[in-house]
Amino acid sequence: MTVKELTMLPAFTEVLLPDPDREIEGCYVGDLLSWVMGRAQSGDAWITIMSNVNVLAVATLADVCCVILAEGVKLDDEVLKVASEKEINVLSTELPMYEGSLALAEALR
Amino acid sequence: MKEISLNILDIVENSVKAGASLTEIIIDESESELILTIKDNGVGMSKEIVSAVTNPFYTTRKTRSVGLGIPLLKLAAEQTGGEVSISSKTADEHPEEHGTTVVARFIKSHIDFTPLGDVISTLKTLVQGHPDRDFLYIHNLNSGRVELDTREIREVLEGVPLDCIEVISWIGDNLKEQYGEV
Repeated sequence: MTVKELTMLPAFTEVLLPDPDREIEGCYVGDLLSWVMGRAQSGDAWITIMSNVNVLAVATLADVCCVILAEGVKLDDEVLKVASEKEINVLSTELPMYEGSLALAEALR
Repeated sequence: MKEISLNILDIVENSVKAGASLTEIIIDESESELILTIKDNGVGMSKEIVSAVTNPFYTTRKTRSVGLGIPLLKLAAEQTGGEVSISSKTADEHPEEHGTTVVARFIKSHIDFTPLGDVISTLKTLVQGHPDRDFLYIHNLNSGRVELDTREIREVLEGVPLDCIEVISWIGDNLKEQYGEV
């Protein structure tokens, strides 16, 4: 499933999709950025409630396929601008992280 | 980072890369606050670089375009209601006295305050990894003070390298003993 296809589902909304055809290869959930940096796998969809610019740096380093902001968390304009410059896919969901993970797992099945 | 000691390791590695012969790691801890100061005598940074280092997409490294040492320290401090400040003097402009000082203030009562953690392992790792550099560690607590100065150890050892296993384990034991007394 591609990131674009995930945004077709009712639970997930597109925030920014500079690379819509990127394949979702797995999922990682976490908020402690240094921890995620060393553990998220390339191609994972990363679900988090963190929304500062460091999230984008970690997304770049870990080479995740997209960041999914849970619980309706929004990026402010400045961070959004960096995400666009760095071509990072960003999605959002109103679901909490656990339910968001379940919805993603269901979609990937 | 799960512990401030890991942030310390990250930031001091920057000092070492900046060519610092001496890096001071000072922790002033009260009931309510923990203030971490890392002061080195390395090559220093220009004003432009100082203002850029809190940007995670800034790095001096050639192999990747992201540097997270300072951004993660800033995040950790700000999450508690504290802040990070950085000042620096470049070796070009201040040949007599140059280097960088990073100060991070943490509010200990905040729920997102991460503990100092295993600072003894951090110090052992630093000395073992950089036996030719000096480190001064001071932790001021209400109940007393813990101190380690590799310049003093170096003088006593008269040429024994600091990264030999006996020295490293002595450093660990000595710090443990000091922490036991405060």
